[in-house]
Amino acid sequence: MQQAGVLGGRALREGLRTPESAVPTLFIPLFFLVVNVGQAGKIFPSSSTSFLEGQSYAAFTLPSSLLLAASFGTAALYLVEDIEGGYFDKLRAAPISRSALVIGRLLAEAAKSVVITAILVVLSLPFGISIASGPVGFLLLLVLTALWAVVFAGFMQLIALKTRSAAATNSGGLVFFPLLFLTPNFVPRELLTRPMEIAATFNPVTYVMEGLRSLILQDLAWAPIARGFAVVAVLGVVMVALNVRLIRHYD
Amino acid sequence: MELDAGVATERAVVPQQEMSQDRSSVPGMKLAVEAQGLVKQYRGRSGTVDAVRGVGLAVAAGEVFGFLGPNGAGKSTTVRMLTTLMSITSGTARVAGVDVMAEPDAVRRRIGVALQEAGLDPRQTGRELLVLQARLFGSSSGQASAKAQELLELVDLVDAADRRIKGYSGGMKRRLDLASALVHEPEVLFLDEPTTGLDPASRLTVWDEVRRINARGTTVFLTTQYLEEADQLCNRIAIIDGGRIVREGTPGQLKGDLQRRRATAPPPTLEEVFLDATGRTRERVAGDVKGVSE
Ligand SMILES: Nc1ncnc2c1ncn2[C@@H]1O[C@H](COP(=O)(O)OP(=O)(O)O)[C@@H](O)[C@H]1O
Ligand SMILES: [Mg+2]
Repeated sequence: MQQAGVLGGRALREGLRTPESAVPTLFIPLFFLVVNVGQAGKIFPSSSTSFLEGQSYAAFTLPSSLLLAASFGTAALYLVEDIEGGYFDKLRAAPISRSALVIGRLLAEAAKSVVITAILVVLSLPFGISIASGPVGFLLLLVLTALWAVVFAGFMQLIALKTRSAAATNSGGLVFFPLLFLTPNFVPRELLTRPMEIAATFNPVTYVMEGLRSLILQDLAWAPIARGFAVVAVLGVVMVALNVRLIRHYD
Repeated sequence: MELDAGVATERAVVPQQEMSQDRSSVPGMKLAVEAQGLVKQYRGRSGTVDAVRGVGLAVAAGEVFGFLGPNGAGKSTTVRMLTTLMSITSGTARVAGVDVMAEPDAVRRRIGVALQEAGLDPRQTGRELLVLQARLFGSSSGQASAKAQELLELVDLVDAADRRIKGYSGGMKRRLDLASALVHEPEVLFLDEPTTGLDPASRLTVWDEVRRINARGTTVFLTTQYLEEADQLCNRIAIIDGGRIVREGTPGQLKGDLQRRRATAPPPTLEEVFLDATGRTRERVAGDVKGVSE
């Protein structure tokens, strides 16, 4: 664990050394927020839209932007750079647990996600958003988003370890399209068309999104929060286990 | 150009030969590397590649052992198996007395590794890389800083220590890579083609460092495709070709054997030994194995 921390520290330093890599992570989600509000804000005025719980449409759509920011999987892109450049072999030759090699980066990814999510929430305050669940809810929101970031980066690390190719890892990242858009991201699930609703019900991201949304729009509502955390917990365990398995058999 | 570098260095190698002959005469000597029947098959979509086909090795503690062979002979594959980086298809290997497959972490603690492509993280500074490496081998952060400083001095990188590795020259990267393999004072140091691609001056610097490291008691296992390098640095060498070891001994022994076999007047060079062992001609070898004088 201490070794994972040392490696995580290096991954964070790497992030700080390439601040330009954080620009799209902040800019694209904000762009989506602005565009979504611009297009649908008038259809859903807060005064007459019950699912907004009295807040603006921006508050409703913010979770999609937060999840988008958490689905860049930069950890895996840096990992594949290490692999292609040979530094990964140097790390593999050190007497550290194989799991530390893959978990270090995921820890750093969680830390980065907390910072980026906090910045995004602050930047979206001018859109008339408030976190209805209070400081505790805000913390839960940060943790839930960070755990999703770990799940997604973990998935992309699997591709990186398996293919050892930057191009393949980049392509793998495209799964965020179906994952993030086959969700109730514009309207609540009950208002989706039947096929879309079915797709969203099977999409785990739906539950993370609904958990985040409840934290923004409502006072602490434990049922959706618990579902969101359950989803990231299960997927997180699966991703870490698969990562560890792959690194154990890495040749 | 001409491949007579071996002749030019004939004299320099004599004291080393005597040393290693002394060593190999001690019975029951502790072995730093021992391998029996090492085999590596790469299985891919395009079929199987037999990269290493039954390599046996016995490297005595304290020596500089040279693993000489042309491109594609199986040198890197052997090193990757011995350093726990790659699974062994069949055969056994012990490094620093520890079984590589059974206790990889124990082997990792005892060895230093600098691979053929100096794998360094371009975004860290030289110092940060060494500190991180020392931490991974269990040093506290204070110990790691001290160790990093000591190694930066050893490889003469103090001035560049706080610059990002991205801007280092090829020679500086190799020296840093070498330093990073030494953070935990390994018993056995593996160097895979430590001077390939370096300019002659940097090459000599690396040779000096290898000698210094060996003088401190570290066994060095180095691969090379340069005959002169093997002749200059190594107490004993093995020539590998097509995944099999075709000659083994001190440079002096190998030359002596060939001279006796041919019964010719001028003593052969290591280059001639190599040509004889691998069935290559001067023309063919020019593209495979090089003298350093080019
Ligand atoms: N990952 C790999 N997959 C398939 N074949 C490989 C792989 N790595 C090396 N080889 C093949 O194995 C043989 C030995 O390679 P290598 O050990 O790198 O030789 P050397 O280091 O002596 O130049 C070569 O024929 C090479 O093409
Ligand atoms: Mg090689």
